[in-house]
Amino acid sequence: MPVEIPKEKWPGSVLTVTLGALPSEGGTRKRVVTVGGETTLPFLHFEGEIPNPPVVAIEIKDRKPDDWSPLLLEAWKDVIDDPAQWAAAAEAAGADLIVLALSLTNRNGEPTTPEEAVANVKAVLGATGLPLIVLGPGQAEVDNTLLVAVSEATKGERLALGICEDKNYRTIVATAMANGHLVIARTPMDVNLAKQLNILISDMGLPLNCILMDPTTGALGYGIEYGYSVMERLRLAALQGDKMTQLPMIVTPGFEAWKAKESKVGEGVPKAWGDWLSRAINWETLTALTLIEAGADIVVLRHPESVKRVKAAIEELMAAKTLVS
Amino acid sequence: MSRYIATRAIRGANALVREAELMLKRAIQEKGGNQKVAFPNTAYYLPLIYGMTGIAVEKLEDLVPVIEHAKRLLHPIPAESQWTPYLGEALDCGMATLLAAEAIEAIRFVYGLQPERMPGFTLAGGTSYPELDSPSNGRVGHLNGPIDDIQLRAWGIQLVDGRMPGFAAIIGAAKSNEVAVKIVRELQKRNILCFLSGNVNGRSIIHQLIEEGVELGYDTYTVPFGTDTLSAIYALGFATRSALTFGGLKAGQAREILLYNRERVFAFVLALGEVDDLKYAAAAGAINFGFPVIADTVIPQILPTGITKYEHVVSMPFNEIEGADDLERAERLVQKCIEVRGVKVKITEVDVPVPYGSAFEGEVVRKSDMRVEFGGKYSRCFEYLFMAPLEEVVDGKIEVIGPSYEHVEPQGHMDMGIVVRVAGRNMQEDFEPVLERQIHYFINGASGIQHIGQRDIAWIRISKNAADKGFKLEHFGKILHARYHSDFGAIVDKVQVTIITEPELLQQWLAKARAAYDYRNKRLADLTDDKVDEFYSCTLCQSFAPNHVCIISPERLGLCGAYNWLDCKASYNINPTGPNQPIKLGKVIDPVKGYWTGTNEYAKIGSHGVVQEVAMYSIMENPMTACGCFECIVMLIPEANGVMVVSREDPSMTPAGMTFSTLAGLAGGGLQTPGVMGVGKYFLLSPKFISADGGFKRVVWMSSILKETMAEELKKVAEREGDPDLIEKIADERYVTTVEELLTWLQEHNHPVLTMEPMF
Repeated sequence: MPVEIPKEKWPGSVLTVTLGALPSEGGTRKRVVTVGGETTLPFLHFEGEIPNPPVVAIEIKDRKPDDWSPLLLEAWKDVIDDPAQWAAAAEAAGADLIVLALSLTNRNGEPTTPEEAVANVKAVLGATGLPLIVLGPGQAEVDNTLLVAVSEATKGERLALGICEDKNYRTIVATAMANGHLVIARTPMDVNLAKQLNILISDMGLPLNCILMDPTTGALGYGIEYGYSVMERLRLAALQGDKMTQLPMIVTPGFEAWKAKESKVGEGVPKAWGDWLSRAINWETLTALTLIEAGADIVVLRHPESVKRVKAAIEELMAAKTLVS
Repeated sequence: MSRYIATRAIRGANALVREAELMLKRAIQEKGGNQKVAFPNTAYYLPLIYGMTGIAVEKLEDLVPVIEHAKRLLHPIPAESQWTPYLGEALDCGMATLLAAEAIEAIRFVYGLQPERMPGFTLAGGTSYPELDSPSNGRVGHLNGPIDDIQLRAWGIQLVDGRMPGFAAIIGAAKSNEVAVKIVRELQKRNILCFLSGNVNGRSIIHQLIEEGVELGYDTYTVPFGTDTLSAIYALGFATRSALTFGGLKAGQAREILLYNRERVFAFVLALGEVDDLKYAAAAGAINFGFPVIADTVIPQILPTGITKYEHVVSMPFNEIEGADDLERAERLVQKCIEVRGVKVKITEVDVPVPYGSAFEGEVVRKSDMRVEFGGKYSRCFEYLFMAPLEEVVDGKIEVIGPSYEHVEPQGHMDMGIVVRVAGRNMQEDFEPVLERQIHYFINGASGIQHIGQRDIAWIRISKNAADKGFKLEHFGKILHARYHSDFGAIVDKVQVTIITEPELLQQWLAKARAAYDYRNKRLADLTDDKVDEFYSCTLCQSFAPNHVCIISPERLGLCGAYNWLDCKASYNINPTGPNQPIKLGKVIDPVKGYWTGTNEYAKIGSHGVVQEVAMYSIMENPMTACGCFECIVMLIPEANGVMVVSREDPSMTPAGMTFSTLAGLAGGGLQTPGVMGVGKYFLLSPKFISADGGFKRVVWMSSILKETMAEELKKVAEREGDPDLIEKIADERYVTTVEELLTWLQEHNHPVLTMEPMF
């Protein structure tokens, strides 16, 4: 008996956003990355188009991080105190994008200066041909000072600058507009807040195809359902035609998973939890894959092994396309 | 538009464009059409010309089409006897003036006449001119000329992100050096950039400031462009470039660039001293950008709004400004400029000697820790906020009239009145109660201060600790001034606070306040659903009830009890992209059940298609959904032909066989369940409460806590319903917890539902 698969015809689609600029476009990247463009829910190839598969970004720091798990330090070994080498290693590990997270202080414990931030960003741009996302340390004033300097020094590169939040977005958006970059808009797990921030940012004159939204999420076992649900609703609204929710989504499962007890702690945990390293990698991989199923376009990861597994999974999910057609 | 201004502006424009044409002709003869022209260190060519016309001027001959364009914009001077609309003509001529002015300055650069030389003067940071600045050439003193791109970026970004509220183009000379300094200081104090140019009979504000030893340059946010009027063009070149850089706009998008400046760059022209034809023409140019002109001399005013956000041209003759001396007059003049352009001033810190923050809001000051109290059992305290015209409110003025509390014995009490005057372009009388209610939260934010109540039953305590740290009565004013600006800046431009302890004055103001409270009560009572043409949505709770949407009308407040129609209106004005959006009612579909085209459409959008229709006044047909924050649950009791009302604070069993917490699962989550509804408790008192189903008389059971806490209000409702004993006929959990008991009770008490028609 033939089975009729019901198909939804969505009036809307996700916007496409391109990160990075080639030399011909005013940048120095060897390749650019385009995300978004979906006309259906994740991987429903029989129903609509998924023109750009989800991509994996690897998060690196401008110096050896103070609070990262020893498992991660072990995985990256020597490169971890040199952002340029780390970026090159991340590219080798299969990253589609590099996320450089600037630290609040430098190696000597002094506040990071704009000059240092620019030097590190330039070093990373020199070491890899991948598009780059640059995140400030997460304190409004410092973020603004560092990101403005970085933005001006890398005019035309189409970096993605973050994080824009409800209370602090104007400076980052202004400098992105003046220098041809993108921004990341983050809101705390709420559809309406996400929409509102997108409206506020685009009201400043930044085109919507220069904005990525980060709806925030939790790790597996730490509120991921809530994050999943918000992402799903954002994507449904986008497909229903709500312009202000049609931006591609970027989420940070690496950051989330590596602060969960299951990945962070190796001692004094029940034996049944098994091997620490494989548990931690599973945690990051599963968190990332869940979010990809919820509609994430960019996942930011930390461990090279997770990157490998997530990429393999994406490949399989995309391969389903050939099965249905 | 004033014919006088139009005439003079058009005359000035004609003269200047002719002058520019002649200068250009001569320059091309003398230097050749290929002679390079440029402003220093900019990628935007001659920025105003580039932005407005799209022409990238690099050589003298490139200016020819620019002047031609300017000529086409010129209009003849209005005839003496003919009265026609002049605004368009004057604006066109203003634009022609700007194009000509920039062309002339560019030619002057070719001849080495710009930047203007000023022997012996050194800029405190400015555009660099290697040939003038290098010591080997014997360093030539000069003014700044145009702003370079580096500084444009630094300042532009601050203008965009709001750190810098705007810029002032000051043209001419002040009444005295002292006044010049005061004006600049007042502007600097507010982080407003000052661009200086022009003169009156050869004397410029630049001379005045230099004589007074004021440092001028980028470092002090005070840039001397030149001592002639023409150099003011650099201010508009700056404005044009900021639109090109930060507005994502392209050269030649004249309209967009002008609109960008009108909406986002809070600039104004301050004309000091006599205004000649050229100044009028340049001012007409500035008005194109939405920048208003304020003059300190007698000139005709153009008050209607349109091109600029508020008034176009305002005359404020310096000697007629109220004030004890010239310095105070200067302060008022600056204040006026800020008002006219609608510049918002930011205040981030609350200047009080105790810690301040929302963490202290719930703090209790016990009698034993108390230094003094106002209100409560032994004294009277009231608070009264009202709006006044802009010119009648002095922002930041805090007065204490009468004795402070020092003479009061420890743990004693005294009377106090807090009178707050606010003014704002977007302020409405309806917002007065909304703002007044904030006093509670604002004052409670101070550590060691406790605030309870509102209006004339306010009760404030100051702890010993706070008193020891130096908390004085004036600090109430400081708190209110700072918080109204930071939280309600969108509707409030000025805040003045008077603290009154002087007994006689206090009584006078208390009487005024009470009259206002009465007036507001009546206004609220008169504010019915049929008197407005829009309701408001509230989507605050969609974070956890994604498809629920509250529709809030004057007679139906939000089910959480926290938002009424006026709150929503104020909230929308403060935050136009926020959770409260106006819902245009459109056509009435059914006035009894409460259907409008607008509310139905919004229900669909707001619920993402889950809810198709909402009846505002019925529980039986398409009732409003609920998130979970409701103060009460109203539920049909079919056997009783009526409804019960359960309070959130009532943990006992109800006749429906479920407690509040079980019922909440039924009522919440954004589901539309006929017969079940979550409401705010004050909605029970509204004439519109399930009015389509019979209204309040349908209530057969009600949590006793509601009966007690709203006894007086409920009594009035009973009278309104024509059954003064109605409340006693309603059962509660003390007597009735099952349907059987309820039916018996209704019979015994002869409840009106017994004779009402069936509910369904």
